[in-house]
Amino acid sequence: MSAIVTVRDLRKRYGAIEAIRGISFEVGEGEIFGLLGPNGAGKTTTVEILEGLRRADSGTAVVDGIDVATDPAGVKARIGVQLQQSAFPVHLTAKETVELFAIFYEREVDAMALLRSVGLEERAGQRQEKLSGGQRQRLSIATTLVNDPRVVFLDEPTTGLDPQARRNLWDLVRAIRDRGATVFLTTHYMDEAEVLCDRVAIMDQGLILQMAPPRELIGHLLQRGFTKPVIQQQANLEDVFLDLTGHELRED
Amino acid sequence: MKQILAYTAMLGRGYVRDGTAMFFSLLLPLMFMLIFGALNFGSFGHVNVGIVDQAGNAESVRFVDGLKQISTMTVTKGELDAERARLEKGDRDMVIVIPRDFRITPASAGAAVPTLTVYENRGQGQQVAVGEAVLTQVVDQLSFAVSRTAPVVNIDRQALSARNVRYVDFLVPGILGMNVMQLAVFSVAFGLVAQKQRGVLRRIMATPLRPTRFFAANVLLRLVLAVVQVLILLAVALLVFKVQLVGSVLAVLALTTLGSILFLTIGFALAGWASSEDQVPPIANLITLPQFFLSGVFFPRDVVPDLIRPLSNVLPLTFLNDSVREVATNGATLWDVRGDVLGMLIWSTLGFILAIRLFRFETA
Repeated sequence: MSAIVTVRDLRKRYGAIEAIRGISFEVGEGEIFGLLGPNGAGKTTTVEILEGLRRADSGTAVVDGIDVATDPAGVKARIGVQLQQSAFPVHLTAKETVELFAIFYEREVDAMALLRSVGLEERAGQRQEKLSGGQRQRLSIATTLVNDPRVVFLDEPTTGLDPQARRNLWDLVRAIRDRGATVFLTTHYMDEAEVLCDRVAIMDQGLILQMAPPRELIGHLLQRGFTKPVIQQQANLEDVFLDLTGHELRED
Repeated sequence: MKQILAYTAMLGRGYVRDGTAMFFSLLLPLMFMLIFGALNFGSFGHVNVGIVDQAGNAESVRFVDGLKQISTMTVTKGELDAERARLEKGDRDMVIVIPRDFRITPASAGAAVPTLTVYENRGQGQQVAVGEAVLTQVVDQLSFAVSRTAPVVNIDRQALSARNVRYVDFLVPGILGMNVMQLAVFSVAFGLVAQKQRGVLRRIMATPLRPTRFFAANVLLRLVLAVVQVLILLAVALLVFKVQLVGSVLAVLALTTLGSILFLTIGFALAGWASSEDQVPPIANLITLPQFFLSGVFFPRDVVPDLIRPLSNVLPLTFLNDSVREVATNGATLWDVRGDVLGMLIWSTLGFILAIRLFRFETA
């Protein structure tokens, strides 16, 4: 599996604060890769550098063979980015929003087909500010796919969504990977990382602490002697919830 | 280029659906023009004269009638105390008291000449000056007629059909300029700061769209809007108020476009500096409100005190209003107003430099 994102000894400081203190990692093509860490760990800065929104002080970041520092526009053309607060210009419909991003990428795009792939074709004519949180998140995913990207960066894609919408979004993330893109995910939800990610990197205070598939990390923890009172449960409360209220998306 | 046009078109679609924006950019200026035009505000037309006729003879009546014929004077008869009270209240510019011994006969040596007492409202300098001039002339005419002498010099008055510049002719260029300024500063500042705050600009910058093209599309949209606005306002001025546009429409459009660009740079600078929407109104008003009063929008700049006059002379809106007014009311060409054009170019350059230094796509 070849690396589609390569980071070597990346550093960035803001004034006196060193946000990233020399990190290195690779993301394989076709992976769903998760970057985890507490607030202030340096995740956002790392992702912003990879997206071409910020310049690193030193080190290299290469995305799909292009050095981000020397050709950020080239990188931007090949990636899809979903920022945390998915904010779009007001007064445009869902379809027009997709078309607007097609203009930014200078591409012809079948907006309806894209909306269909995220389950929004019925909302195509609705003003984007009137969409529910889950719908807007899906619209956001649609805009990241406008340029048929090689790598899609998702920043906390399910924050604020109800259980049905979360699950639906997870399916979408898997669908993106199945289309041939690599997914780079940041999240605060560990269950999400465990379910979706092939590998995760855990970051804190500007450094990567560990990087491996989730199962492996859990295995290492148990080997170090970690125990937890085990309550034999075949199901948890989320299972109850979904059983009672169903998997269908609830959208007004 | 195609990308810029496509982006501008999409921005336009969003704009026309924005009710508030449309109101402030089209409806409000129209309202201003209709209201102020109809009010005929600040028209110097009349001298309010109160006459106290204490003589009550045939000659005094003739004298009063004579005064009433003069169109600039609005003459009302009344009693002394009442008229003086009205003068003090400001309802009269002057009060003329015709004495009891009033008569129109040639002066004879040694005899007393009847004296008209004139009370003047000191606060209405212009009106009083005109009133006095008229009164003096009337008295002179009477004197010549009665003493059967002729004036030493004859004055032959040739009335030229000078273009009558009404208040509304003065007002329309001012309204045009004011609007261009408001549209450029407020729409850009509010629109972009809101988007910056919400993270929209940041999302856009994650795409390969070049920042220069982002600016180009936003500027182009507002220029198109400004042209539409000017055309609508001119159409209303022509049709409703029968304003005469002496110069060329194209010259007016060229000047308002240059003015738009000027104020757009200021709008972008403000949008770049502000980090939230509530920071916009105080600064935007600080920039625009003084120019309402000092740049000749609703009334001429002659009323601006001498101390502030140098400032008033170099304000951006002054250059715009003066040049548009020259073209509209006096038929000036763009070359004729090149001084004002130069003024606007200098301001545009300053604004551009400021905008480049201050604009940010995200709040820090």
